[in-house]
Amino acid sequence: MMKLQFDWRSRLSRFRVWALSFRGGITLLCLVGLLLVPLTGREYLARIVITAMILTIFAASWDLLAGFAGQVSFGHAAFFGISGYVTAAFVKFVGAPWFLAIFIGTGWAVVFSLLIGIPCLRLKGPYLALGTLAFALILYNLFLTGTWLGGTEGISALPNIGSVFVEFYIMAAFMVASLIIMRAIVDSRLGTILKAIRDDEVGADAAGINTTVYKLVAFMVSGLFAGISGGLFVLDITAVNPAVYQPLYSFYAIIMASIGGIATIYGSIVGSFLFTLLSEFLRPLAAASLLIFATLLILIIRFSEEGVMNPFLEHVRDLWDKIRGR
Amino acid sequence: MYGIYGIRYEEGKMGLILEVKNLTKKFGGLTAVNDVNFEVHRGEILGLIGPNGAGKTTLFQLISGFEKPNSGSVRFNGVDITGKRPCQIVNLGLARTFQLVRSFRFLSLLDNISVACLSPRGREAFGEVGIDAAASSILASVGLVDKARLPPVILPHGDLRKLEIGKALGTNPEFLLLDEPFSGLAHEESAGITRLIEQLHEEGVTVFMTGHVLRELMTLVPRVIAMHQGRLIAEGPPKEVASNKIVLEAYLGRGEGFA
Amino acid sequence: MSILLEEILIFGTIQGALLALLALGFSLVYGVGGLLNLAHGAFFLITAYIVYWTIHLLTSIPGLSYYPLVFGIAAVVGLSSVVTIGAVTYLGLMKPLQKSHIGVVLVTFAMAFFFEQFVKFVGDPKTHYIVPVVPGTVTLLGITFPAQLLALVFGSVILVTLVTLFISKSTIGKSIRAVSQDPEAAELVGINTDMVMMTSVMISALLVGFAAVLYAPGNYIAPRIGWGYLLLAFSVTIFGGMGSIPGSILGAYVMGYATTLTDYLISPSFSQIVPLIVILVMLLVRPQGLLGKKRLQ
Repeated sequence: MMKLQFDWRSRLSRFRVWALSFRGGITLLCLVGLLLVPLTGREYLARIVITAMILTIFAASWDLLAGFAGQVSFGHAAFFGISGYVTAAFVKFVGAPWFLAIFIGTGWAVVFSLLIGIPCLRLKGPYLALGTLAFALILYNLFLTGTWLGGTEGISALPNIGSVFVEFYIMAAFMVASLIIMRAIVDSRLGTILKAIRDDEVGADAAGINTTVYKLVAFMVSGLFAGISGGLFVLDITAVNPAVYQPLYSFYAIIMASIGGIATIYGSIVGSFLFTLLSEFLRPLAAASLLIFATLLILIIRFSEEGVMNPFLEHVRDLWDKIRGR
Repeated sequence: MYGIYGIRYEEGKMGLILEVKNLTKKFGGLTAVNDVNFEVHRGEILGLIGPNGAGKTTLFQLISGFEKPNSGSVRFNGVDITGKRPCQIVNLGLARTFQLVRSFRFLSLLDNISVACLSPRGREAFGEVGIDAAASSILASVGLVDKARLPPVILPHGDLRKLEIGKALGTNPEFLLLDEPFSGLAHEESAGITRLIEQLHEEGVTVFMTGHVLRELMTLVPRVIAMHQGRLIAEGPPKEVASNKIVLEAYLGRGEGFA
Repeated sequence: MSILLEEILIFGTIQGALLALLALGFSLVYGVGGLLNLAHGAFFLITAYIVYWTIHLLTSIPGLSYYPLVFGIAAVVGLSSVVTIGAVTYLGLMKPLQKSHIGVVLVTFAMAFFFEQFVKFVGDPKTHYIVPVVPGTVTLLGITFPAQLLALVFGSVILVTLVTLFISKSTIGKSIRAVSQDPEAAELVGINTDMVMMTSVMISALLVGFAAVLYAPGNYIAPRIGWGYLLLAFSVTIFGGMGSIPGSILGAYVMGYATTLTDYLISPSFSQIVPLIVILVMLLVRPQGLLGKKRLQ
């Protein structure tokens, strides 16, 4: 009992130190601001923020796999979509409560992360990107042309999980919890091993690490959180259809994580909110908006990664690691 | 203060820690390693010399599991490790360094070593002391503990080699394969590595190292085997091998210097 | 059962012909420059749409109603456009990012989106139909099928043969092969590797453009179809061996017959899964493909 008390007190004092620091203070302010959004009574804003929060979890799950384990996936929508479909199916056809449905949906996402991860073990870089994209495309095709779970129409008219404001706080809780957990994982010993595999897989092998097992673990953890976000997404829009598997969603994950900072986990918040707000801003332009967005992205990728994308990311990572003293 | 580590002597064939029999590796039309046979005695320091392209690194790749041989076998402590995965071999007690130094670029020096300590074999050896303590201790024994929190990018070449050896030590090896540990090093840096190897030898680690400048090996290594074009061409004390006619031809014939 | 054999022969050949056009270019670009062009499917898409729009533009001109002529012009416009797009893509996007393999993949991925949105924006998100230029049907071995598809087979065979001959016999072809084996050595011998890679991308665009010109007529086009063709190209090249020309051709026809076989023996929706199974099996068993030379780097 004594030991527990001691830990609690030291944690509290550490928290206080952090909260009073610049970064800690800003973070807390933003968090408080976030929690106050529903109280402004503006439902439209709340809805946008909900989407941003859900996609934050999605982007962070991608960041964990790509930035920390070095496996850059272009088909993350696969986990997102599978979980979404299973969640929707369980809510609609089995009448399960939403919490249980997400749990099962996430479970399926983890299974699929293994199914996709195992063949992708030997793939690196562009090949891995294409391989994961291929799996997502196949799922897209299957659900689009098949008759299972609603075909092109998908499943719709799912019950709400509460009023917008209740939903907001639920989503916020999921987001905060997910990010904290993911961050804890990458800061742990497991995270160190994953980073080693990312930096030098041969070296990790030579250091006695079973890279196969750990890569699969990374896939599963990433798939788990992608699955959570997929389930939440579907519950938010109260429907699911094959579009959830489209390459566009995989792209969202990549872009949000990249904007916010690869290998940061928390950067996904920045990326996701920026992106979501920007999309809303461009929404009045309808079809042109996505076109403008695609153009912008091409330009960003082309010019911000002039020559080599990695040194830029390296600088970010280096800085971040040095700040954190690792 | 923790010593480098404790060695457990495996019960195996009397005194032989490594037996290589008829090892052959072909890459397309090129036979890189050709029917190589030799033994390594527990606790000894063995050198492997040969001009560039003789097959030394390929031999190391085959022994450490990074390449699979076309034929032949490798036995470590009596256990057949031919064709096993590198991480499996490492966890049996055989670790290696690489000719082209590699490190985990975005991890601190301490973490570079921690990773190795987190291998199953490392955990078994250091679990009680704690991974961080063990990694610190190893880092100290290779003389890099003052830079523990910094990334490898700041290290000079010699220190990178020490880091690599440190990483290998993190897996608590009985047998250490060092691939060209002296290449590209200035004189004092070489001396540092030599001291490290001598220290490891005293602790009972078997060392098998390659080099193609014989001078460094002469004093350090009591026995040497020589390769040329994939074959073992000579074996014995360095002075003997250095004056061996076949060996001389191999080196001079290819225009290589000797010392 | 005997009808089955002819059906599989005919439709398998047709499928194989299409796959060959799709895969050859994709594999070539990878073999030469190590570049995975995720916009490959988008090239098909944009060619098909340019053809479609040109046809509509031209047929609205009174007096111009001879369809083969209209289609011919549209085809020329489409092909030259896609080849230009290929060149521009290489120069503007691939070349500057070639040191970062992920960069190329990311930017071609974005390109694919761009084209998908572009087509939606300039046209509309709906599905459209292109009238086949070779009308009617043809009967071979007792099987009746659209004549357009026969044109596809002929076109594919001719083009694939031409390209293969070009690469193996011509001077530029020699340069291409040199660069694909060792870009640094080729550079040292004075070969302009940039030109070679750009040429490969353009050939790739031409091949996939022809696939669109020959296959899209009599077929439906929609903004999202690019991805499906990318997937097909990828699975064939994984199967036959990335960077191997004979591998891609062989792989294309083997997969063509295999897909047709599952179409008839099991069901058409099951054959959707064939690319998946191929990819899965190949990745697990033999990642370098049937005839692949390059390691999966």
